[in-house]
Amino acid sequence: MNTSSPSGKAPSERSIEMAALMSRVALGDRQAFEALYRGSCAQLFGIVLRINGERAQAEEVLQEVFVTVWRAAATFDQRQGQVMTWLTSIARNRAIDSLRRRASEPATVSRYGTLGGTEDDDDDLLEQQASEDPGPLDLLDRASSRHALERCMDALTGEQRSSLALAYYQGFSHAEVALHLSQPLGTVKSWVRRGLQGLRACLDRAAGLVGNSDVGRAA
Amino acid sequence: MDYSRRDRAERLAAEYALGTLRGAARRRFERLLPAHPALQDALNDWQLRLQALASPVQAVEPGARVWAAVQQRLFGAAPASWWQRLGLWQGFSAMAAVAALAMAVLIAQPTPVQPPLVIVMNSTPQGLEMIKTGFVASVSADGRALVLRPLDRVTLAEGRALELWAVPKAGAPRSLGLVATHSATTTVLRARLLQDTSAFAVSLEPAGGSPTGKPTGPIVSAGEV
Repeated sequence: MNTSSPSGKAPSERSIEMAALMSRVALGDRQAFEALYRGSCAQLFGIVLRINGERAQAEEVLQEVFVTVWRAAATFDQRQGQVMTWLTSIARNRAIDSLRRRASEPATVSRYGTLGGTEDDDDDLLEQQASEDPGPLDLLDRASSRHALERCMDALTGEQRSSLALAYYQGFSHAEVALHLSQPLGTVKSWVRRGLQGLRACLDRAAGLVGNSDVGRAA
Repeated sequence: MDYSRRDRAERLAAEYALGTLRGAARRRFERLLPAHPALQDALNDWQLRLQALASPVQAVEPGARVWAAVQQRLFGAAPASWWQRLGLWQGFSAMAAVAALAMAVLIAQPTPVQPPLVIVMNSTPQGLEMIKTGFVASVSADGRALVLRPLDRVTLAEGRALELWAVPKAGAPRSLGLVATHSATTTVLRARLLQDTSAFAVSLEPAGGSPTGKPTGPIVSAGEV
């Protein structure tokens, strides 16, 4: 079931709220922990589900994410970054790790094609294949059009953009991106590397211009 | 290999944050992080840069079992019956809190002497999956009238109804009748609404209400008195 973010608040208000919750979680406040879960689980689950499309596995990943969050809460340094950035990083790491665990299974180009098994998964498969389900490049477009990232993404070549989007949104490895784009591995590795370099140079320039490292969050 | 070298740290951090650093290299990077501040700084920067990419991903509500499993693993608590868990569901809901505050202010104005008791009923995990709204119940100070107001529009599947319950500290919940879905509020007039009541809850029932006199469907919303 797809739902939009539970709170329709502006990001800044939301991140302040999350920061306040996080400091309470760091002190072992279970109610704050639940509030943090409620406020972020759908967004994080969406991210995990894109990388590992099997719902049961994705739910296990989400579970591990919040176990990690509770245990590592005291080590989270508010000055180092935003709560949602931290949570997203943990979620993406865990999701990528869950793919590693199934490495013995045949590599698949399309996650959507590998769904299935239980009845629930069949339902998800239908949902995922609905025409409005955005692909990685659609998501990139949406991310780009809303953020300072736009000009920086535009500055990349199409191949670099596609490679970054497949890696970020689908959790593809170099080899999977290469397979998906029918290109040699070495070529794809260099697209990814140059794409990242270009992105950094451009984003850091933009950050310098606005004097704020948090460029991504347009008000 | 010298991981404090800036360009090398930078490249590894970028590929790690993007997710393309895999297998043994990924594990090694994670082991090196705590001891190499340059690596950690580079990674923080990359995670921040890439965070902008995460925002357009469609949010998907996970199943209620995820939260239950997290609690089980961290706190080892055996799942309690739903009315013992009401306290946990009081988790933060800004919208509900704001609505409650607004109502408390509105209602308190005409009768400043005895303001009604306002109870915010938050969605339970199952509730979030089914009707996606909490309720605010306000009970008159004399405990004889209750007005229930959903925080958002309620849409129910054909053949289903919502039933309101008064939950005592001990014993079975008492039915307070069905929740009106065609109008904005439900009014319950009954003596001693608050006597022995520790919480109010809304359950999903077949049309016409619970056939057994006790909640048969999932509790979708609940709030402590």
